[in-house]
Amino acid sequence: MDFTFPKEYELFRRMVREFAENEVRPLAREIDREGRVPMETIKKAAALGLMGVPFPQEYGGMGGGETGYCILMEELGRVCTSTATVIGAHTGIGAMAIYLDGTPEQKEKYLTPLARGEKIAAFALTEAGAGSDAAAIKTRAVRDGNYFILNGTKQYITNGPQADIVTVMAVTDPSLGARGGVTAFIVEKEFPGFRVGSHENKMGIRGSATSELIFEDCPVPAENVLGQFGAGFITFMKTLDIGRASLGAACLGGAQAALELAMKWAKVREQFGGPIAQKQEVHFMIADMATEIEALRSLIYRTAWLIDTGQPHIKEAAMCKVFGSEVASRCIQRALQIYGALGYSRDYPIERAFRDARIAEIFEGTNEIQRIVIASNLFRPEGVRISP
Amino acid sequence: MRIVVAVKQILNPAGVVVNLRREMIFVNREEYILGPADKCALEVALQWKEAAGAEVVAVSLGPARADDALREALAMGADAAYHLHDPAFDQADIAVAARALAAATRRLEPVDLVLVGDRSDDTGAGQVGPRLAEALGLPQVTGAYQVRPADGAAEVVRRWQGRFARVWVPLPAVVAVAAGAVKPRYPHGARIMNAYRQWQVARWSAADLGLTEEDLRPLAVYRGQAFPPAPEVGEMVRGEPAEAARELWNILKSQKLV
Repeated sequence: MDFTFPKEYELFRRMVREFAENEVRPLAREIDREGRVPMETIKKAAALGLMGVPFPQEYGGMGGGETGYCILMEELGRVCTSTATVIGAHTGIGAMAIYLDGTPEQKEKYLTPLARGEKIAAFALTEAGAGSDAAAIKTRAVRDGNYFILNGTKQYITNGPQADIVTVMAVTDPSLGARGGVTAFIVEKEFPGFRVGSHENKMGIRGSATSELIFEDCPVPAENVLGQFGAGFITFMKTLDIGRASLGAACLGGAQAALELAMKWAKVREQFGGPIAQKQEVHFMIADMATEIEALRSLIYRTAWLIDTGQPHIKEAAMCKVFGSEVASRCIQRALQIYGALGYSRDYPIERAFRDARIAEIFEGTNEIQRIVIASNLFRPEGVRISP
Repeated sequence: MRIVVAVKQILNPAGVVVNLRREMIFVNREEYILGPADKCALEVALQWKEAAGAEVVAVSLGPARADDALREALAMGADAAYHLHDPAFDQADIAVAARALAAATRRLEPVDLVLVGDRSDDTGAGQVGPRLAEALGLPQVTGAYQVRPADGAAEVVRRWQGRFARVWVPLPAVVAVAAGAVKPRYPHGARIMNAYRQWQVARWSAADLGLTEEDLRPLAVYRGQAFPPAPEVGEMVRGEPAEAARELWNILKSQKLV
């Protein structure tokens, strides 16, 4: 057993950390206040291959696999959750669906510009009546010659306003339900009848734009069916399974940042004649943070390894998402406590981290759904089938 | 047009903590990086390549781990990399290093420009450039902040008597680039992957370079360490000034010093 990273990943992490520290951290506060990640930053990331880390180089990707992608998410999550979310929704789910189930022609046409960061992707599954219950989607796609006509409204779509290419799930046969009646499509923003609806005014990850996407008699060419006709649910679930590992990696970065901030502050904050780093209550909090972070790190990179080596990973990816989001929230909570009143101030980064972290327990499948995924994967071999 | 860039791997100063109170140095992270000045020299070479076309060759003398510095150079954009590695270099000092780098440069002829970091962040002797130029019989410019192609010459802005001066040096030449002269680029992620998975770093031994025993003899030889004897500590007289003065007087008298 060897727990060291191959050297290319060590150098990649160093590059990403320098990029994150120099190009993203100085903007993190402004990104939160102004509610957008500057396009300039995305372009800089694209120029280094950071918009297509997991994809093969033949499709314009970096060839870093899930391991490389988790490193990117961890390092971005450490400095700016909004930037991690924008790149994560683009790479980890939007473009990932095309990578996993696209035809060679679709990959050439859509994945290549996405992996190079020339275009931005979004992933459109959620609707007003279908979040955790993804099979309850209402967006319809009806065949009309060589086209499918899409009608419906998607909600809470990360990157919705900027996306050039959207992977969309729509019902093609209501009588068949999720298994067989749902199909995934690749939609370009130029397609007629496609528009961006209202924007969400969110508590955290404010730099990452979230909006409705509206389809009104939007014609999508039949060659833009992604994966097998009627098997859209499988495409989307496969995509989300992989996305959960990297989402956990971004949380790992957030938790790590909280630990670093807490330690830095504990060394300089003096009470009762000495730094609070000397107090046992602080030791216990710091030790718990570090322990959970270490456990999370092992889980994340082992899951990335499972994905990169083509092994089953659904249960572990769900664990990454649950444990990652909750460890991040707990660590930030403790760091805020160590910061005291200053942690509650908008002038310090803990307050932003606190708001940013909460969504990770909700989006990309709530933690309750993840626990069902974990339990059903445990019970299935025992002959017990679980449905939510 | 071929540019040779001599680079050195150093211990990352960011991983080292100096605890003044305990008079100790703690290496928190034993991480080795491409020296900042050398990185600038490489960046200058890559900019030259983009402006006027050139083949950029990175060369480094060092232990096995220096391979990583050369792969980083490849990731940044170098076209080839040579690792001067041999047990005979284990005791190499700056003179031996310069002779080995000069021999490597000769093996890479024709070379139009040799770039080095002006001063490394570890030993900081700043001698590699001048020694290399002497060994190769080439003109040299040190402390360079800008290096641009200028019609068979290099136009160099360098530090000079507390100011900056613009000088022209005919090629081939050796130019030592100062740390902070340029902002080194981030290596592209795909090049990082390829630098380890696809591309090769060639290895040259002392024999490959045709170095003689004389060439490999360092200027100074380490024989051990010795310190001057600790000084005898005198007697401290403490207490209230009036009492202390009286006691001091008694001591001086008893020693027959007054």
